Amino acid sequence: MRKDFQLWVLTALWLCAFLIPIGAVAAPITFNTALPVSKNEILLRQQFLVTKFSDRLNGMKRDATVRAGVSVLGYGVTPKLAVFGVAPLVNIDREIGTMNSNFTGLGDATIFARYEIYRNDSPGKTIRIAPFVGATLPTGRTGKTGDGSTDGFAGLIFTAASTSWNFDSQIKYVANTRANSFARGDTVSADVSLQYRLLPNAITATTNGFLYGVIEANLTQLQRDRLGSVINPNSGGTQAFLSPGVQYATRRWIAETALKIPVVNNLHGTALAPDYSLITSLRFNF
Amino acid sequence: MFKTLSLSLGLAMLAGSTMAADTGYKLQVDGMTCPFCVATSEKALKKINGVKDASANLETGVINVCTDGSVRFTDDQLKALFLEKGFTYRSMTKTNTCSAADFIKANENTAG
Repeated sequence: MRKDFQLWVLTALWLCAFLIPIGAVAAPITFNTALPVSKNEILLRQQFLVTKFSDRLNGMKRDATVRAGVSVLGYGVTPKLAVFGVAPLVNIDREIGTMNSNFTGLGDATIFARYEIYRNDSPGKTIRIAPFVGATLPTGRTGKTGDGSTDGFAGLIFTAASTSWNFDSQIKYVANTRANSFARGDTVSADVSLQYRLLPNAITATTNGFLYGVIEANLTQLQRDRLGSVINPNSGGTQAFLSPGVQYATRRWIAETALKIPVVNNLHGTALAPDYSLITSLRFNF
Repeated sequence: MFKTLSLSLGLAMLAGSTMAADTGYKLQVDGMTCPFCVATSEKALKKINGVKDASANLETGVINVCTDGSVRFTDDQLKALFLEKGFTYRSMTKTNTCSAADFIKANENTAG
């Protein structure tokens, strides 16, 4: 039971580590944008995330709350190439039956690079396509705030933006490796985001920023985990989320919040599914 | 009396020639979609010695630039500048003047 408990907490950690959006332009809240980072420009994003899990299995209560403060630093190496580092500080409060535990510490850090391969600009509009590749490093405490493995990921982002709305979509594959005989299943995900300018109706000299209404959809297919050579039947499956939110974008900073709500939790066996994630963040440009 | 008149006339001519030296440019820059894009572009232009002001119209992608006349923009220079910022420079029009009206007009449609 203890091992099973550990495994679903690792799944919870995966859900948190997955949120690494970047950019200080109007951009998705739960994933990436292809909009540019200027050469030699530094971006900082501080994200606060609360994910709640709870259910009752055979009359036994299972409950976990993952709180994370995620710091993202981005740098424009060239007009097309940007690199990013993501460092999460994680607190996990978990309870299963009469077992309780609480861990706080550095989670698994992520580094990745994004390269623009297509750009089509017109007055007040742009279309960008950018692939990205990166790795998640075992900087967390294995089994507590991290899973101990070095995992690779790659994907492609499409962004179409105007002064009134932005549309972003992303596909991403995560190849998870084995650590301490545990191998989390690989994942593939597809995400879309629409940000629509609610205010102001017209852009004037007194406009201090844009207020966007945001709606995002996230679909993820998770393969089953392995412990040694044994497949964990209580892992893997399909999840889909809807994330409504708001975003306020100014010349130098962006504040945003979104509620990530599961609409499909088709997980195998007794895998614990999230109830919701609340995401709040601030982004700054220097 | 004659000396004072001459000095006043000289100063007026000097002031007039200084004002006349101000040169305006209208730059067409594509791909700017947000307040941050505007701020980045204006900041980059204002770092150039001789640029007195810059103000962008987000809807049209036109940036009005006022210089003290010592600046000589070239297409290659502006293309490289906006490429670094992640936008696409298209063209410029020299206006010879830097009227405040240009900036007010531009600002009426400028975010941030």
